[in-house]
Amino acid sequence: MAQFRIGEGQDIMEKLGILTDAAKYDVACTSSGIERKGDGRGIGNTIAGGICHSFSADGRCISLLKILFTNECIYDCKYCVNRRSNDVPRTSFTPEEVCTLTMEFYKRNYIEGLFLSSGILQSPDYTMELICRTIYKLRREYRFQGYIHVKAIPGADPALVQQAGFLADRMSVNLELPTAEGLRRLAPNKHRKNILAPMRQIQNGIRVNKNEITLYRNAPRFVAAGQSTQMIVGATPENDFQLIHVAEGLYRKFELKRVFYSAFVQVNEDRELPALPGGPPLLREHRLYQADWLLRFYGFTADELLSEERPNFNILLDPKADWALRHLELFPVEVNRADYKMLLRIPGVGVKSAQRIVRARRNGTLRFEDLKKIGVVLKRALYFITCSGRMMYRTKMEEDYITRNLLNVKEKLPFDKDGVTYKQLSLFDDMGFPMQPGREDLPKALLGQM
Amino acid sequence: MAKSMEEYYLVCEDSPEGVFTGIYEAYAMRKPHGSIHIQIGEEENLRLFATYKEIEPEPEKSLRVAETLERRLGPEAYVEICCALAAQDGEKGEAVYKTVVCGFGMKDGRQVMGNLAHPHVHKVFELARNVKNEAHHWKEFLRFQELEDGVLFSKIGPKNNIVTFLMPHFADRLPLYNFMIYDENRKIFAVHPASGEWYLVSGVEMGMERFEKFAAEEERYQELFRFFCKRIAIKERKNLKLQRNMLPLWFQEYMVEFGE
Repeated sequence: MAQFRIGEGQDIMEKLGILTDAAKYDVACTSSGIERKGDGRGIGNTIAGGICHSFSADGRCISLLKILFTNECIYDCKYCVNRRSNDVPRTSFTPEEVCTLTMEFYKRNYIEGLFLSSGILQSPDYTMELICRTIYKLRREYRFQGYIHVKAIPGADPALVQQAGFLADRMSVNLELPTAEGLRRLAPNKHRKNILAPMRQIQNGIRVNKNEITLYRNAPRFVAAGQSTQMIVGATPENDFQLIHVAEGLYRKFELKRVFYSAFVQVNEDRELPALPGGPPLLREHRLYQADWLLRFYGFTADELLSEERPNFNILLDPKADWALRHLELFPVEVNRADYKMLLRIPGVGVKSAQRIVRARRNGTLRFEDLKKIGVVLKRALYFITCSGRMMYRTKMEEDYITRNLLNVKEKLPFDKDGVTYKQLSLFDDMGFPMQPGREDLPKALLGQM
Repeated sequence: MAKSMEEYYLVCEDSPEGVFTGIYEAYAMRKPHGSIHIQIGEEENLRLFATYKEIEPEPEKSLRVAETLERRLGPEAYVEICCALAAQDGEKGEAVYKTVVCGFGMKDGRQVMGNLAHPHVHKVFELARNVKNEAHHWKEFLRFQELEDGVLFSKIGPKNNIVTFLMPHFADRLPLYNFMIYDENRKIFAVHPASGEWYLVSGVEMGMERFEKFAAEEERYQELFRFFCKRIAIKERKNLKLQRNMLPLWFQEYMVEFGE
């Protein structure tokens, strides 16, 4: 195979280009989950909500210097741009180069920190060691106290994963495909067991560390911003119900901070991969993020949203409106009395507006115009609420009637493919977008007011 | 018809001290609060039959008001009020004053910011939110450029007066660096000396040329970052509208990656 390698002394610009290209399909670019002040002797701090420093032409947030250490790889995963059988230019950074780029970018306020991933060079152990050595240098020699997110390489020595955990704020192991079957088909070198093992190790490490911190306040922190993972959407035939079920399991059983969904982008031609003439399934990805939001912040369970009989999300309606329409017997809800949990289930009421309602109604009865000020999206909520026993307009509590009206209120989607209207989207190329949950983690209007 | 009340307008300086002194004077007048208004700066259209009174900011009075607000309305409302006062908005003085009156009239003044159905409280809430959002945007989007002498320099053009909200953030982040943030709309320099305390400088004429002499490597890193931003985008997902929604165009002139 004719591969050309960029050797020592090659231009840093060239390396940055290659190793950015190779890293961009990993969707996580968040810098949230931990608030840490600087100690005055180095550079950097971290902010609990995370900070986005720029937005690329695809509208995704740029928060971290997201790069691979190397795009050389001994594996041959069918969906991956860096797979062994691809004839692409290969290169590697040195630990010094990664440190210098991070420091110079950080002090100019370009980034919140480093997201370091890697292809598998020689072996998982060898690769994990390179990652460890790099972030050790960054933390100790360069005194960098900003955000660091690194990958735990499946199959690497647990001692190395442990070492990385004490240097990084967040770690992630990508599940890649929601089922073992999918993984077998598309990533023959990866095994579910190998992916879940480091995930479990990190989970346990975080637990043990929490106890240590209570005992010894100054004990070093282990993966303080928690761990995350990502699943590719639309490369294998799994349905939304399976995906969201897996996500729920990851939140409950592995205590993950975040599960990311990545609409499959066809970078390789392979007969095992689906053809996606409509582009990546962005709407589907978007619906999954909305549902993920409902699981994490709105008290929903996967079984409430979908079932074996209805295994995919509605293209036309967001999952919360869809749920409400199937449960009209619970509505309308009296805003002045309903408990917080029920407020959260009203379409058009987000987490923030639900909190504001609970607070504001202590000072008197709320009217529709007050709800508007509070941030409730009335044109969606009005079919589901009463204020002092009255609905805003005369409304039939009928599924078809409300559905029709809700569909007239154009849903704000973060994308509109040039000229493709909503109705033209077929079931198979339904799309979505990762409203990178908001401005990073700040729920934005789109999701916050679901 | 109800007898029309005489209206009083207290004309205050555009600063927290100015407005707090105004609130002090408003209470000292012992007249119904409905008849007193706080106005910031001169207004072109004077109202007939209204009495105007210039209020000079006085540190002692303003400090007493600040302490009372923090005690009776609680730290949350106090911070909201301070944020609202940084807004570029002619109505902010009146909104803050009437919010204070509303809070003092409540059983528990600490709940005042929850009272969003009250128009002035809502106004303060909106102003504060706007100021906090803008401050957050600049934490995201401002860019430092390294000058010849090693100083990191950033020029911003904020709508609200937010530079004091930015400094603690960057001082914690870059404690060992000399850096400077310049608000070009208000001509305020915020200066952080390495390992020192930050301070504000305004009303000084400074030649801007000295801020255009960059360190040898500056251009190189701008180029690298511009290149990175270009390469990180996934072309199959191109979405300039979303990019603009997340990053309003008017910020882009301050951001090195959108140059060239």
